[in-house]
Amino acid sequence: MLTTIAAAVLATLAPMQGETDTTIAVPAGASLSVNNFGGAIVIHTWTQNRVKVHAEHGSRGSIEASLVGTTLTIKAGSRHGSPSVVDFDITVPVEMALNLSGTYTEIEVNGSKAAITAETVDGSIDVRGGSGNVILNSIQGSVTLADATGRIEVNSINESVELSNVSGQIKAETTNGDVTLWGIKSSSVEATTINGDVEYEGTVTDAGTYTFNSHNGDIQISIPEGANMTLTVATANGDIDASFPLPFRGTREKHRYTFKLGTGSARMEAESFQGDIELRRPAEMREHQREKEKEKEKDKDHEMEQEEP
Amino acid sequence: MNDQWTDRLSEYVDGELANGERVALEAHLATCAPCRGAVAELRQVVARARSLEDRAPQTDLWSGVAKRIGAGQVVDIRSRRFSFNVPQLIAACIALVLLSGGGTWVALHKTSVATDTTFTSQADSTKWVPVAVWSGRTDAAIADLQEALRRNESRLDTSTVRVVRENLALIDRAIAQARTALAADSGNAYLNLHLADTMRRKLELLRRVNAIASAQS
Repeated sequence: MLTTIAAAVLATLAPMQGETDTTIAVPAGASLSVNNFGGAIVIHTWTQNRVKVHAEHGSRGSIEASLVGTTLTIKAGSRHGSPSVVDFDITVPVEMALNLSGTYTEIEVNGSKAAITAETVDGSIDVRGGSGNVILNSIQGSVTLADATGRIEVNSINESVELSNVSGQIKAETTNGDVTLWGIKSSSVEATTINGDVEYEGTVTDAGTYTFNSHNGDIQISIPEGANMTLTVATANGDIDASFPLPFRGTREKHRYTFKLGTGSARMEAESFQGDIELRRPAEMREHQREKEKEKEKDKDHEMEQEEP
Repeated sequence: MNDQWTDRLSEYVDGELANGERVALEAHLATCAPCRGAVAELRQVVARARSLEDRAPQTDLWSGVAKRIGAGQVVDIRSRRFSFNVPQLIAACIALVLLSGGGTWVALHKTSVATDTTFTSQADSTKWVPVAVWSGRTDAAIADLQEALRRNESRLDTSTVRVVRENLALIDRAIAQARTALAADSGNAYLNLHLADTMRRKLELLRRVNAIASAQS
């Protein structure tokens, strides 16, 4: 009890001209919880057992920090009670678990090697790193995750979801946007959207399960040569197309076909009600990706040209 | 009903849980009647589904698809043995949807999933279960969550409310399209599964937005 009380630190940090800077020592294995109504939460990492907080806010804003047990909680306060807009730039130990939340909040994490939970209503989430449970949720913003490993759950409602160089058990979902999975190493992948495309480029592991589902969009999947999988594809109103011969050794029903490749060990389902199902080799997918990036660059250039007087 | 375990019951029934998780879940089952009921229901569905007959496709689109993907040999499906047949898939999916919807129902009405399932009795038949029957409970859970959202909307920003409504409308259109397709082909496994999954998506979206709205108070 005494230890708990002694470990508790509660402070309202004094602002200096709309900015707050402080550094707080934390015990090994500590976790960080940040709640910010509006603005940004940007997390960097280092190897020290200290948390360095830089916050930019209005002159009436304040920052509250409390360390209870092994949880450091940081939140934005306001002297008049109404929520304030704060831009946090926080540097944390690389293995510090993160729990980040906000309403009108952009969330960015760079280089973490710990569990991450991030949730915002109106803002994007961009995470590089993460290990263990990585759970990212936004309602109105896009969600991007790279270089993470563990049990991954990534959700948006009204924007796209993009994962790259991610390994582990993966679940990616949105309602109105694309789901793009690149460089995935996993034996369990679930990617779904209602109104958008689904792309998957990654491993197909023996005994793994892979589910890709869209209502209105196309599904494009990389099938590595030599993959052992039972592949079920289904579409109500779209086409099914493979850039390589698919030996039909499975079952067929109306709208739904099953193929057995190799030993058929992994189970993969690709289903789109309105869209097409495209099965490609990894090299073709990479070429397709390069073309998409070129198109994006062209569009950017075109937009910039139009913006210039 | 424990949400943590609700999502794992299907894996438990399929024998897919790791030993540690299985032991923990069995300890939980010993003290949780609703979860025990749900497990029993799932086992009944699986057992009953195994006894159902396969049904041949009403229309064969295979020749067109085979041409497109360059497949050579076409095998008569009736000579094949399947690990899962069409009614089994539908029954399993309905079970999953109702478990998800049932969880919501429990949360809203403080009752148990064991008394909230219609699919078991329907699965007793080898005939196709009408969509209106198996989706009825989920429709009711959706209606309750929509009503809860209507009450909670004032806690959310107007732009968030607009985005949520647009996305719900998007899902509603998808559900309507799936229902229309099913009306013409009620026994189609893919269409049944797709409708069930789309309804599940609507439930999850409503549940998530309601949770966020509640947290805003």
